[in-house]
Amino acid sequence: MTPDLSITIAGVTFANPIMTASGCCGYGEELSGVFLLQKLGAIVTKSITLKPREGHPPPRTAETASGMLNAIGLANVGLERFIEEKIPFLSQQKTKVIVNVAGTTLAEYVEICSRLNDCERVDMIELNISCPNVDEGGMEFGSNPALTEQSVAAVKKVFSRPVIAKLSPNVTEIAAIARAAEQGGADALSLINSLVGITIDIETWQPTLTNNRGGLTGPAIKPIALAMVDAVHNASRLPIIGIGGIAGYDDVVEFLLCGATAVQVGTALFIEPAAPVRILRDLTAYMKRKKLTSIADLVGKVRKYP
Amino acid sequence: MTRLTCEDTTLLLNRHLGNGYHSLTFGPYASADRCRPGQFLHVRLPTAAVFFRRAFSVASVQPHDAVEIIFKVFGRGTRVMAGLRKGDPVNLLGPLGVPFRFPTKSETTIIVAGGVGFPPLLFLAVELVRRGFDPNKIIFFYGGRTRQDVIERARIKRIGVSFQPVTEDGSLGHSGLVTQAVERFIVANGDRRMRLYACGPTGMLKAADELGRRHDIAGQLSIEAPMPCGIGVCLGCVVELKRGGYSRVCCDGPVYDIGEVKL
Repeated sequence: MTPDLSITIAGVTFANPIMTASGCCGYGEELSGVFLLQKLGAIVTKSITLKPREGHPPPRTAETASGMLNAIGLANVGLERFIEEKIPFLSQQKTKVIVNVAGTTLAEYVEICSRLNDCERVDMIELNISCPNVDEGGMEFGSNPALTEQSVAAVKKVFSRPVIAKLSPNVTEIAAIARAAEQGGADALSLINSLVGITIDIETWQPTLTNNRGGLTGPAIKPIALAMVDAVHNASRLPIIGIGGIAGYDDVVEFLLCGATAVQVGTALFIEPAAPVRILRDLTAYMKRKKLTSIADLVGKVRKYP
Repeated sequence: MTRLTCEDTTLLLNRHLGNGYHSLTFGPYASADRCRPGQFLHVRLPTAAVFFRRAFSVASVQPHDAVEIIFKVFGRGTRVMAGLRKGDPVNLLGPLGVPFRFPTKSETTIIVAGGVGFPPLLFLAVELVRRGFDPNKIIFFYGGRTRQDVIERARIKRIGVSFQPVTEDGSLGHSGLVTQAVERFIVANGDRRMRLYACGPTGMLKAADELGRRHDIAGQLSIEAPMPCGIGVCLGCVVELKRGGYSRVCCDGPVYDIGEVKL
């Protein structure tokens, strides 16, 4: 029997639990030359800001042990061009569309989300309150429980469909932020965003990235992400979308066992653009081997030591 | 949307060309026929020690089945590549990027290669001759610090083009910087219509860019940048354009018109 990979988050049904992570799949078009986007549970766009952003001067990325450091600086086409040029393509895709939104002020988050509320094909919004690479806003919203609650609540007033709060790992207690997002009315949580890091060129003694600091992603951060998913799963009733170093079906299974209902694949797409297709195939085979009939058979089922 | 392919293939041949340079030939490679001069391959190595793919310009193709890249050992990635043996598996994403625009047959083609920038220009010269361009009107300048930096000389001569090696220490060919030798040629042949193609270290690209603008010669530069994804999604490989804004080297480049990029 073929296992049922579909999942439901906040009343929205996804064909499977594999999504792309924001910033790793552009606006969808770029990846559509590699595989059919309908194979994905959902596509999560790059962060959209109110005005277009050029991003930071290069170098913007550095390779690290089992990962990468990036400080792209939320480069994106801005809300207007996104609605005009990118939504039409996304609308044609037979997959769920989640738009990631970043703002520098509360008013900006509200304005973007209220415009996106009119775009019917936007199934969900993912609030980026956790970008480590911009000076203003971004991570500040996601590292303060009161601001987290406030921003989620404000967006919920103007966006009628489900809202996901994307959480930062660069906080003392992620569970407290998760509870604040829940309090604000979030429908789901995605975690983790990247971890703040630095790499330095020992010849020039300068940081590798012009932004000096960047966000660490890739397999290097997976154990940290799993611990945070576990902590949030214990602290909140909201569905969790796990993110952090997922490159294979085994990584997905670990996140599901820790309490995630779905996952996002990010950095792995840079190395293997069709990774989600392989992951799905292998995940299906694993479920068959383990005689599992649905994803729910795995979610939160980690057998912890007493 | 252009079709992107990731192909598993193997190393057929690892030739050490001296002075840290290696030529790797991969095959069977079904996309060999689709490779155009200026395009590159994003190479995934069979080791977890190298996280990202590595981008290399195509140096040559053997129709229907194989593709060659040439590089110099610089860092972790190229060290691993230099140690690859026949039969080792690699995965190639490509061909990627915008290829060179060919000159017209009435134009004299000036090729300006510097050190490790030589491979895409080798492919360009071979392809032009194959397409019936007069080899005598292709002037292949190739600069290095010493004669050891000017590799594959016999191979370039075999194409039949006018080969003009240039070394900073005068150990081979013209003495001085490659762009100085090119400028002397341009000045001495002011009556000819010319097209310039350059690839090499940033300092050389800058000089070639200035040459083109000073003498009003159109042409293109192939640019290198650290490149995580290669397909335009990560925005990690951008360069700044003179008209403002950033451009993705992987898919808007790596070939740019003279005068286009802030070098």
